[in-house]
Amino acid sequence: MGEVDARPFPPGDYPLVVVGSGPGGIQVSYSLRRLGVDHALISADEAPGGMFRRFPFFQRLLSWTKPYAPVPRGSRAYERYDWNSLIGEEPSHRAIQPEFMDGTSEFPSRPEMEAQLAEFVRRAALPIRYGCLWEATRRDGDRFVLETSDGEYRCGLVVFAVGVAEPFTPEMPGRELVAHYVDTRDPETYAGRRLFIVGKQNSGFELASGLLHWASRIVLASPRPAKLSVETNSLAGIRARYVQPIEDRFMGGGVYILNASIEGVERAGDVLRVRTRATDGGMDLAIEADEVIAATGFVAPLRDLPALGVATFGPSRLPAQTPYWESASLAGIYFAGTINMGSPGLKKNGVAGTGAVHGTRFNARILAREIAERHFGVVAPRPALAPRDVVGYLLEEATDAPELWNQKGYLARAVLFGADGPYDEGIVPLQAFVDGSGPDGVAIGLEGDSEGVIRPAAYVRRKGAVSEVMLDPDPLNEFRGSSDGRARLTAALEGLLR
Amino acid sequence: MAGTEELIDELSDLALFADLARPELAGVAHTLEEEWYADGQRILREGFSGTGFYILLEGEVAVRIEGQERARLRRGAFFGEAAILLGEPPGADVVAAGRVRVVHVAGPALHEFLMRHPNVMFRMLQEQTRRLRSANRWAR
Amino acid sequence: MTMTVAERAALLSRVTLFAGLPEASLQALAELAGEAEFGDGDAIVLQGQVGTGLFVIVAGAARVVRGGEELDRLGPGDYLGELAVIDRMPRMASVFAVGPTTCLALASWDLFRRVDGDPELVHSLLRGLALRVRHLSEHHSH
Repeated sequence: MGEVDARPFPPGDYPLVVVGSGPGGIQVSYSLRRLGVDHALISADEAPGGMFRRFPFFQRLLSWTKPYAPVPRGSRAYERYDWNSLIGEEPSHRAIQPEFMDGTSEFPSRPEMEAQLAEFVRRAALPIRYGCLWEATRRDGDRFVLETSDGEYRCGLVVFAVGVAEPFTPEMPGRELVAHYVDTRDPETYAGRRLFIVGKQNSGFELASGLLHWASRIVLASPRPAKLSVETNSLAGIRARYVQPIEDRFMGGGVYILNASIEGVERAGDVLRVRTRATDGGMDLAIEADEVIAATGFVAPLRDLPALGVATFGPSRLPAQTPYWESASLAGIYFAGTINMGSPGLKKNGVAGTGAVHGTRFNARILAREIAERHFGVVAPRPALAPRDVVGYLLEEATDAPELWNQKGYLARAVLFGADGPYDEGIVPLQAFVDGSGPDGVAIGLEGDSEGVIRPAAYVRRKGAVSEVMLDPDPLNEFRGSSDGRARLTAALEGLLR
Repeated sequence: MAGTEELIDELSDLALFADLARPELAGVAHTLEEEWYADGQRILREGFSGTGFYILLEGEVAVRIEGQERARLRRGAFFGEAAILLGEPPGADVVAAGRVRVVHVAGPALHEFLMRHPNVMFRMLQEQTRRLRSANRWAR
Repeated sequence: MTMTVAERAALLSRVTLFAGLPEASLQALAELAGEAEFGDGDAIVLQGQVGTGLFVIVAGAARVVRGGEELDRLGPGDYLGELAVIDRMPRMASVFAVGPTTCLALASWDLFRRVDGDPELVHSLLRGLALRVRHLSEHHSH
């Protein structure tokens, strides 16, 4: 552990600047540093952690770290069971989260997560310039200039890891009477109050769950019916932790869930009145409440990047990204962390890549390698494989690879067939493999369907055309010994395994 | 939910949603997922399972079979429903020709979406009929 | 030949256009369907006329003719007229019975009435048309 300069990276010229010190910024900077890519890491915050310095509001994460897993702690396979630790190359940089858990839950508390991130930064001696707020951006020929509270940074490339963290409340009459999720006060201050929560996603249900025993009545409303993760068999939907309000509703416990749009909020004496319009053929209502809270999500805080040419889309105003997380409309601008949701991948069965740490930490490592190879000539080794080992290796990866498990349908292990035989291309974005060109090869990933069945999916590229080979599921997700999988892959790779 | 009002306005201009009143349209807008594609990106992939249903909001897409362009679709057009309805992978690639913005319903969610919005489904049926006729084949 | 409602429903369930339709929807259609008998050479539908119904061949055969040219032959289980029923545009071909032929006939106004309250029926029509588009494009590419 070396001494870390308290204020490294003064304004000036850098080949690359990373903005943000949440998990995304830290992971990409760590991985770039391991590859020897010179860059600056700046952050508006005073300490590492990003959103985990404040959220989730009720202080308990939704992502597990299992202290006791079927594989040894600190191994690569363990990363599948530890969704929160950043991924390090050295033993002391690995599996830090379980060291910081008090044993009461497999879900770390917010402070435990924050402590893990700070410890990773400390052990890796990662230099970060804190208190340096990115304010504006402009072009300077083919380079960029970041204007910050400390002065100007000039660079050829930027990685923005700024989260999807800017509170958003939709336009509506009386919007000024509506608080946002981020303004939620201490729970006891809601004692005996009637709450109206706009939004039926996880943040709305998190508030409802946390305030169930304080609020006298809770109404949740949004146009679209709530979906549960246990119904969709994916992380899209209300997480199991937050279903209590739904149970309370059907038992008549003072929780009401409406499919309605919010037409406006007005003051009526001491209370607020919310006008709703049913979107499911139900009744239009005027509902009295003491507090109205918008759990209507967050947008990406991109500042002036759209004006510079960064195309955005969708309700979170995410920047549209290539499979390697570069702005799809402005070369040289990359993204890491939650904002990677702007590159959703193939979305087979509607499943997009996750924007949570357990997936984006792997994206960040791949991004670092891509930047190093494309812009700095640092080419990672591609170990040769014996042809007879290829099929076994692919099935091994389908069984154990944490990247494949945590980014289903999104990241894949690729093996390419060169003039000298097969070699390991590494973990790649699946979309880059199936839509990209290159030598013949195969990529294997895992895919979940709407029934919750997980199966390996292989993609074989021959002369530029890619075909899909779906393998059978296994009740214990043990694909390594699958004779069917072996036979199907061997057949699909006919002629390539030489 | 940012920009949902704009999305509702955009959807209300499309023939597919012409029969929906605004509250129902709001429900639709919250169900659809927006996506953005750069020139040349594939939206549907020939022979791949697990595809979705798409409605084109902005830009043009090319329908390609084995690399050969067969058709162009423009704003308001929809695609991908046949593969889901038939439970078979798409028989063509659909590729962005220039920048493209679409809204998307995941395959497993399409049946519920259509049942919830029968007017939209009937519009699709009429469009499908028109397509069959203009394929310039004999129609019985 | 007179069929029971159950027999008609069974027949309709084998028509690709109605495949996968719930029993209740099939039953309702079967009740609306009438039987039509045609002698050899009789026109089942005529090119240029606005379609008023959908026909499913129960027994016998038919030939599809446009501008004097025979395009296709149809047999039991085949159906005709589904496009005209949906868009009420003129028929694009004529169909003539070959020998004594029995059809189940569904009037377009009856079908339309059902469509309004039966999303599953619309869904199955959509699926049936998707199947035809797929077959057409397969013919195209071969």
